[in-house]
Amino acid sequence: MFGSLNLPIAAGVGLRAPHVREVLATRPALPWFEVHSENYFADGGPALAALQRIRADYPLSLHGVGMSLGSSDPIDRDHIGKLKRLIARVEPAQVSEHLCWSSVGGRNFNDLLPLPYNDEALAHVCGRVARVQDLLGREIAFENVSAYVAFPDATMTESEFVASVARRTGCKLLLDVNNVYVNAVNHGFDADAYIAAIPPDAVAEYHLAGFDAGDLCLIDTHGAPISGDVWALFARTVRRIGPRPTLIEWDTDIPAFSVLKGEARTAQRILGTIDAIAA
Amino acid sequence: MPSLRELQLRFAAALVAPASTEGAALDDERMAIYRTNGRATYRHALGATFAVVKRLTGAPFFNAAVDTFVAAHPPFSGDLNVYGEHFADFVERYAPAANLPYLADVARLEWAIDEASRAADATRVPDAALAALAIVPPERVPHVRIALDVSCRLVESAYPILRIWRANQDDRSGDERIDLEEGGILLIVRRDTDGMAIEALRRGEYAWLAALAQAATLHAAIDAALAADPAFDLGAVLRTHIGAGTIAAIFDQ
Repeated sequence: MFGSLNLPIAAGVGLRAPHVREVLATRPALPWFEVHSENYFADGGPALAALQRIRADYPLSLHGVGMSLGSSDPIDRDHIGKLKRLIARVEPAQVSEHLCWSSVGGRNFNDLLPLPYNDEALAHVCGRVARVQDLLGREIAFENVSAYVAFPDATMTESEFVASVARRTGCKLLLDVNNVYVNAVNHGFDADAYIAAIPPDAVAEYHLAGFDAGDLCLIDTHGAPISGDVWALFARTVRRIGPRPTLIEWDTDIPAFSVLKGEARTAQRILGTIDAIAA
Repeated sequence: MPSLRELQLRFAAALVAPASTEGAALDDERMAIYRTNGRATYRHALGATFAVVKRLTGAPFFNAAVDTFVAAHPPFSGDLNVYGEHFADFVERYAPAANLPYLADVARLEWAIDEASRAADATRVPDAALAALAIVPPERVPHVRIALDVSCRLVESAYPILRIWRANQDDRSGDERIDLEEGGILLIVRRDTDGMAIEALRRGEYAWLAALAQAATLHAAIDAALAADPAFDLGAVLRTHIGAGTIAAIFDQ
């Protein structure tokens, strides 16, 4: 089994339930996998057992979607406890969450909701990151989210906010290039200026996914091929920041696993690192 | 400037109902994207857990039921696995489903399967359970308690829900005719070495296991079983359920 080392600087794939059986049966030549932590919040059972078998052969990253890191509600200790047990079980190479909130007043919306980009939210979320890391006893990386609305009273740009969280907490950033592109279109900012504002040393991983063009704005569905514009932005990002472990995500209308492998091969060519993915 | 908490509470109000966005100064047309995404999240999550209920009713009916359920039982956890515990009770009272009297019990069976699939792994040691029983002094035997495997769930219905469930799995056409008059069924759902086991139980056997699950003594469980079925055979059910791993442990205390 791989130790809890770093993820390889190569293009991996987000592993979703419809592909688990195929991955177990064929052991595809991919450098690493990432799963949504909450999908494996179980005390035992076949899904968790399958994940442990995959973990025995591949480096694994746990990516959370439900911690509600930026919420003004108290931290959900039960949720942290479940994550901590999963971490102990699979010894992931990396644990990440989203720079967002999902719940307030006890109600959970199970969505990645944007924060207002101001000093209060910055101080709050930095404090929460520190407390979560204390509770987990390990570092977490955080991801920039896509958004359809922006708070009117923001006092800083999203990239300033994201870069500030990285600087203040010392946490690594999981830079979702698709989310940068989607937000640049939706909120009318320059995606390259955003990338330029990110301290390269803070970036631990890239995410890539597909969006759908809605009537009003781009919708981050993770349900389509990665767009040409996002590939181009990714290539410019890699040139500026450097190659990092890169993940292909596909969460709705999930295609055949070979499609994900194809996207990973494209990402790998752009990364220009080891030729990790067999054709 | 409003506080983070105020902003989040206003945003939350706008996620629930479109009219309240004025104070939040959020673009309501775009907030509608979040409302749509939110509905899709719960329809998808519950549609996976309650796949047979969805197949029996069709997606439009099911999705409308989920939307109503979410409004009545707002989610409280970032872990969607635990959301759905009250769905069967909701279905039972959901007026549009009144002409499908078996639907709530099918939902109960699907929730039992879902819970069992996430329960802790157990090492099944039938010999250890037998050995534990063998060392109990005869006069203490009526007072022992029997712990069932943590994955065990008991489901009872006045309708043939196992036949309905099986006929509506992905590999079946689902158009098989099932006579609701054929009567009810008593089921145990538990994890097996090969995955999930769903088995029909006899009346006395079900009453016995149900009593044990409530931490009754062996004596009280036998009384319950005999009340349900005078022909209840303790030796036979002990052998069956120790062998199958339903019985995790026997202890004299």
